[in-house]
Amino acid sequence: MFNKKHLFMMMALLITAVILAACGGGDEEPQNEEQPEGTTGQGDEEAGEVNIYTSRHYDIDDEIYADFTEETGIEVNIINGSADELIERMNREGEASEADLFYTADAGRLHRAKEEGLLQSIESEVLNENVPENMRDRDSEWVGLTQRARIIAYHKDRVDPEELSTYEALTEPEWEGRVLMRSSENVYNQSLLASFIDLHGREEAKDWAQGIHDNLARSPQGGDRDQARAVVAGEGDVAIMNTYYLGGMLNSPDEEEVNVAEQLGIFFPNQETTGTHVNVSGVGLAGNAPNPENAVKLIEYLTTEEVQEIFAAANYEYPVNPNVEADSTIQEWGEFDTQEINLSILGENSAEATRIFNEVGFE
Amino acid sequence: MKWFRSLKTTMNLWTVLSVIFVLLVLLPNLSIIVQFFAEPNENWLHIREYMLQNYIQNTLILVFFVGILTLFIGTSLAWIISAYDFPMRRFFQWGMILPLAIPPYIGAYTYHGILNYTGVIQTSLRNQFDVTVNQQYFNIMNMPGAIFILTIFLFPYVYTITKAFLARQSTALVENARILGSSSWRIYFRVVLPISRAAIIAGVSLVILEVLNDYGVVSYYGIQTFTTAIFQTWFGMGDLQSAVKLSGTLMVIVLGILVIERIARGRRQFSFTTTKVKLLQPVKLEGPKKWYAFGFCMFIFSIGFIIPVIQLIYWATMTYEQFFSIDFWQLIWNSVSVAFIASTIIVVMAVVISNFARLNRGMLAKTFPKITILGYSIPGAVIAVGVVTLFTALDRQLFGFYEWLGLEPTLLISTSLFMLVFAYVIRYLAVGYNSIESGFDRIGTNFTEASRMLGMSVTKSFFKVDMKLIRGAIFGGFILAFIDIMKELPLTLILRPFNFDTLATKAYQYAVDEMIQQAAIPSIFIILVSGIAIYVFHHVLEKE
Amino acid sequence: MFVHIRNLAFKYPNAKDNTINDFNLTIDQGEIISILGESGSGKSTILRLIAGLDMPTNGNIMVGDHCMCSNSTFTQPEKRGVGMVFQDYALFPHMTVEDNIKFGLQKWSRKDKKNRVGEVLELVNLEDYRKRYPFELSGGQQQRVALARALAPKPKLLLFDEPFSNLDADLQIRIREELRRIIKSTGVTSIFVTHDQDDSQALADRIVVLREGEVAQIGTAQEILGTDCNFADRMPVKPRVLSRV
Repeated sequence: MFNKKHLFMMMALLITAVILAACGGGDEEPQNEEQPEGTTGQGDEEAGEVNIYTSRHYDIDDEIYADFTEETGIEVNIINGSADELIERMNREGEASEADLFYTADAGRLHRAKEEGLLQSIESEVLNENVPENMRDRDSEWVGLTQRARIIAYHKDRVDPEELSTYEALTEPEWEGRVLMRSSENVYNQSLLASFIDLHGREEAKDWAQGIHDNLARSPQGGDRDQARAVVAGEGDVAIMNTYYLGGMLNSPDEEEVNVAEQLGIFFPNQETTGTHVNVSGVGLAGNAPNPENAVKLIEYLTTEEVQEIFAAANYEYPVNPNVEADSTIQEWGEFDTQEINLSILGENSAEATRIFNEVGFE
Repeated sequence: MKWFRSLKTTMNLWTVLSVIFVLLVLLPNLSIIVQFFAEPNENWLHIREYMLQNYIQNTLILVFFVGILTLFIGTSLAWIISAYDFPMRRFFQWGMILPLAIPPYIGAYTYHGILNYTGVIQTSLRNQFDVTVNQQYFNIMNMPGAIFILTIFLFPYVYTITKAFLARQSTALVENARILGSSSWRIYFRVVLPISRAAIIAGVSLVILEVLNDYGVVSYYGIQTFTTAIFQTWFGMGDLQSAVKLSGTLMVIVLGILVIERIARGRRQFSFTTTKVKLLQPVKLEGPKKWYAFGFCMFIFSIGFIIPVIQLIYWATMTYEQFFSIDFWQLIWNSVSVAFIASTIIVVMAVVISNFARLNRGMLAKTFPKITILGYSIPGAVIAVGVVTLFTALDRQLFGFYEWLGLEPTLLISTSLFMLVFAYVIRYLAVGYNSIESGFDRIGTNFTEASRMLGMSVTKSFFKVDMKLIRGAIFGGFILAFIDIMKELPLTLILRPFNFDTLATKAYQYAVDEMIQQAAIPSIFIILVSGIAIYVFHHVLEKE
Repeated sequence: MFVHIRNLAFKYPNAKDNTINDFNLTIDQGEIISILGESGSGKSTILRLIAGLDMPTNGNIMVGDHCMCSNSTFTQPEKRGVGMVFQDYALFPHMTVEDNIKFGLQKWSRKDKKNRVGEVLELVNLEDYRKRYPFELSGGQQQRVALARALAPKPKLLLFDEPFSNLDADLQIRIREELRRIIKSTGVTSIFVTHDQDDSQALADRIVVLREGEVAQIGTAQEILGTDCNFADRMPVKPRVLSRV
């Protein structure tokens, strides 16, 4: 009797749960309803607010937002998180989402948000002026705000920059046991490979991943800074890493990190061929943004010359606004040519890139 | 007729509340379990072909070694500290819980920071003695390193739960064994380990679950585990469905193991319980023996707490300006208040469900405890998706109600702290539950039955007898949950309301950008607050 | 007939066989009954069923005029007015002797409580131990406190689960006599469960021999065990402390 009763109760529980879940699911339909124009959140203040879902979080950001609030009266609200988690949250919130802006440090992710239908196009003359076309989405659903290059860092004593030429050259036998790169789980590596898929096709991209994997000095571990350390420590001779990590190390509060960074040279690969791989951190306008005007105002503000300078310098990145000079640390590294692909490609190919890494056993 | 009779007699407040609580836990997890049955897609086949075997293998190695090591470290410390008296024993009693205050991923960064090329050891060797070492000997970013990190920061789970058991329940047996002239080692292996099985299983299963859903340590150290596969699928391939399917698989495996354990245990009385409580009197150690005991405790305490904390303090001195630019009081307040509220709810729910489960027979009573661990068995980020789904659905249901109230029709609950607290509760219910269940396990059901024979209802018995006897376990469950929530990351990141930062999110945002020095101050605050909680916990218990 | 048990059956949820099978028993008011059986015979289960701590799969239990349990009703243990002395006494460790005894008197007035505590403590000869905690008492004293606690609310029926298993042999014999004296002086109907024939013989008016969940014999000590009890025939008294590990 006990069992029967309890079985019955279990069933009742499950059924209730399923019904509740189903009700929730069924309601996702009326998402296409017209969003009332210009409804600002609480509406009790004249200037309103703007809500950002962001995966960027530097101390300087808060100051920039505070300045923006002072200038315009618009409050800035923030939720931090990793890009994919934020995308999923916007997805689940659907039409009722409070997000106005989605900010992340990878064009691939911005593209993914666009693909999921979470963004809408931004119409702004100011942006068109401040941001070069290749740094913007084809449909203007997102714009880049800062850019970073994935370069080859080499040990100044052990490697002659003459030996270096391209990303592809690092797969040659002479580099066996000398190359360092972090795990393929990392989005920057995925985007790098994604760009190769576009430039050379899947087969060659896979050969490259295989070739790098064969030449690795050690199995992938740690972050970009750890690759730099490993080069100086003599575990390998070159590391594929992002520029801003070196910038960060050069300005680190830890003397030893500065020491390490100073022993490294920066080489911009593929200058004679396809150009160096760059990626942006950028911002997209949420499709269901409750405060679209304010959101656009904030994006415009972030692309102005005075803000670009500090915004990019905070993380040793290159500003997108061509009228703004980069931070002195990175200016010293010199100018370079970049890959001439539309950055949306990075998003389109990222799943394929992940699969290739898995196929060649790149940890 | 008879089923009606049993329904009527089991249908009391405890049953009703238990059912409601379990439903609450089940709801967000349901969407994950359901995915287990979802049609496999192309990515799934890819995962199976290239990732699964290797990842499962790594996961098993990690779980096995961390499980065994925490078992031995945790129980041996619990045994030495309960049974012997030696220098600083009183401090170690609570000091041994302190490593739990350090988030494992911060520990992972810290140890790597100590050992790597720019770390203090290699730097001193290089600058003072001009010695450059082979990096391989100092590399911690590998499987043994990950096992080390997870062991050293998670063993307190086993220690706490086992020690609470030993101090109260082992007296008769241990004294008997001592009289019979058994050596300490013999008593440890032949008496202590077997009789504390229930407590050990409670502690080790928490450790194992924590290892299974760890992402911070393994991803930084480049070890591919089941969790890595989940996130690789989600973040790399953008395929949340397959990621959730993997999580569902993980959940089913964990549930399966627990059920097998239950079946294997059968109706056998599992732990040694007696209502004749007598405190174990520690034997004073003399001569070298007392220094061995001290040395062992000090060694574990050093690597689990002192060394990483010193390193963090050293980093903090490099970035001390931060102390003035960030409003740490606000961060502490945020962290402490949500952790406090959520832990309180967890304890109440855990008490209700475990009291129901122990006083009733039958399927519900057997199933409910297993459901409490659902949220703890899979990565937090995946739970977060389930929670967001549930709450936005709820908000949509309440759409009309909001309108009627004249509120802007929007997301009310799902953008409030309520959602975050709810998610914490679901995630860490197991932590509170395991501690409280082992507390109940310790006192058995005799006291309750005695109380009922004297005319008290189940509820009155609980407040007058049971609660007083398991106060330590309740408090212990609260503290464990509190510390866990203080350290918690993925849920807080995704589910918090606008502009809500905690110490953990602050520490993380620097660590993830490889600015470990800047992460030091918020980390130290986490450790400080948790440390105070542990200290208070110990001293309240001490008074009894 | 004061206690009336009919067709009682019990089965654990996952067990194959019934632990108790068609158990029938009637007891007169003031009678002392001993249920004698080896461990595993189901004797403790019968006590738990009478106490209401387990729910029978079949059968009726009547105590006085009240139906404690049938196929359609079930009275919760706290409502039965049945007292019980547990094998390990289950004295609440966080309460003094006095508070332990008062525990069952929650609805009584303050004065009545005080008087009653005095009465039962006098009955068990422990007047000077009011303020002690259980762990400060010897095994025999603990058992007497447990008895006093069970007697205090004036139960209609008193149950003993292996009352002597935790005592030394010589203490056991002494307490047996005392126990019978106390029970008879209060006139409470009692059932106690034991595996020891001596206990049964010394204490009980009638003995029920239980084998594998079924009644094998019922009768007076003489009828069941013979007039002169042969010590060599006795079932062995096993030490039980470690057997539960």
